[in-house]
Amino acid sequence: MISLSDFNHDHSQHSVAVSVKNLGLTYTTSIDRKPTLKARLKTLGRGKKHTRIVRALVDINVDVHYGTVLGIIGSNGAGKSSLMRVISGIVPPTQGRVEVYGSVSTLLALGVGFNPSMTGRDNVYLGGLAAGMSREEIDKNFEAIAAFSELGDAIDTPMRTYSSGMFARLAFSVAAVVEPDILIIDEALSTGDAKFKEKSLNRIKELRTSDRALILVSHALATIEDICNEVIWLDHGKLMARGNPAEVIAAYREFVDARKSASSDEDV
Amino acid sequence: MEKPVVVYEPFRAGLPPMREYLRSLWSRRTFIAAFSRSELREQNFDSLFGQLWLVLNPLLLSGVYFLLIDVIGGKSDSSRFAHLTASLFLFYLIANSLTGGVKAITSGQRLILNTSFPRIMLPISAAIVALFRFLPTLVVYIVIHVLLGLPFSWQMLWALPIIVIAIVLSLGLAILISCINVYFRDISSMLPYLTRSLLYLSPILYEAAHMSHRIKKFEVANPIFYLLDSWSRVMVHGEAPTSKGLLTSSIWALGIFVVGTYFFLSRERDFAVRL
Ligand SMILES: Nc1ncnc2c1ncn2[C@@H]1O[C@H](COP(=O)(O)OP(=O)(O)OP(=O)(O)O)[C@@H](O)[C@H]1O
Ligand SMILES: [Mg+2]
Repeated sequence: MISLSDFNHDHSQHSVAVSVKNLGLTYTTSIDRKPTLKARLKTLGRGKKHTRIVRALVDINVDVHYGTVLGIIGSNGAGKSSLMRVISGIVPPTQGRVEVYGSVSTLLALGVGFNPSMTGRDNVYLGGLAAGMSREEIDKNFEAIAAFSELGDAIDTPMRTYSSGMFARLAFSVAAVVEPDILIIDEALSTGDAKFKEKSLNRIKELRTSDRALILVSHALATIEDICNEVIWLDHGKLMARGNPAEVIAAYREFVDARKSASSDEDV
Repeated sequence: MEKPVVVYEPFRAGLPPMREYLRSLWSRRTFIAAFSRSELREQNFDSLFGQLWLVLNPLLLSGVYFLLIDVIGGKSDSSRFAHLTASLFLFYLIANSLTGGVKAITSGQRLILNTSFPRIMLPISAAIVALFRFLPTLVVYIVIHVLLGLPFSWQMLWALPIIVIAIVLSLGLAILISCINVYFRDISSMLPYLTRSLLYLSPILYEAAHMSHRIKKFEVANPIFYLLDSWSRVMVHGEAPTSKGLLTSSIWALGIFVVGTYFFLSRERDFAVRL
């Protein structure tokens, strides 16, 4: 099931992990308040809908191959997280088609599934099960998770007593033991102190193998340049550039600087 | 390509591929259990006082109602109190799965926006929580039954199928209402009135046998009327339930379960963009 277009890239020797074709995503949200029965009844006669339409992604085409580490950059609201949500099957696309070959694990936000009133130990299980691991797998990896997080005895205290850095450590440690075919990480590296950041970066580097695809969303351009071998740049839902990390990042930097100087000119 | 392939295409209202859905739900069963357990923990279910409160709350309520009925109605006996307590306990199973289910999706926003899993898991675990809160009250009822000197009989084994019907109903209600609440958020604030009306319209403060036939005709429209009636017959009086009662309550339970699940499954892929 490999389409011809896949052979246009340098990675044609590897198989496709994710194929995104003509992808479009539109969010429809009510402007003022939450949807209620009352509001619906009120607007029933008028047929006017108080909705705002956000085109978060417009006609995106991307192939991710096994063995690549794909970095995704772009300013806030560019649609990076939205793209990740579509690839991981959380949000259905509005247009187009996404094909995913292999098991996906997502680290879109740290500590989803954690319950702050329970201990770190219980949350390792809860978070791990939420991430799709089995109880046996967590049992097997528990020591590794606890050791990686370096929380020590704090692992048996309720998570509401954790500092946000400790929370992030445990969350990353749980996510780091999952060994999926495709791993998607959305800005999970931005928390934790310098030492832990280094450690999690190393863990991600370890995960770079030829039979795995990594997708990394980050604002830390230096990190992206360091670990990725391909980068795409999104802006306002559109694919601006894709290719060699150094080149794309340079183009992105130029773009951001240009906008910055233009706006600072306006101020004068 | 030996790797499994998943295709995501634009959302259309309609059921997802059922076999895969059920398989992924089944593979998440330990998560459902752990998630329900953490909810119970949150409600202090694991502490003695937490459990005590669970039992005490409906017990106090039935005490208050008993007094009221005694004062207003004048005639009352021990089976009256047993009826009140047994019915209230079962009613709380239904009411708790409604109140737990209504927020299941909307409060699971973080989980829903960041991981992919069968969303029906969330209302299911709300119903499981309600069930686990119901079970200890069952023991308390048996104790009351003994203390009041009410008879035991083999017919009381009918309680098992009735509990199964009640579980199907509470699952269906939790699933249905969690889905409705995504589209109409004010349902959750209307819910207390809804359960309150349900309480008065059901044979809890009174017994179905004492109702006039003119009113009783309309009770087919109450999903839990015949469920509670059968429950009281079996648990309090040790009689077999009527076949009409069993049939009507089963039809309601299955109907709500099927309709609720259909709505939920055909809409759930749309939830993430609506939260
Ligand atoms: N649940 C939602 N409902 C409505 N609009 C949304 C939702 N999530 C995102 N959007 C909109 O979609 C657009 C893209 O958002 P997205 O979260 O994908 O950006 P991002 O690139 O991840 O930004 P950041 O760098 O800040 O994380 C934004 O305009 C945002 O307002
Ligand atoms: Mg984002």
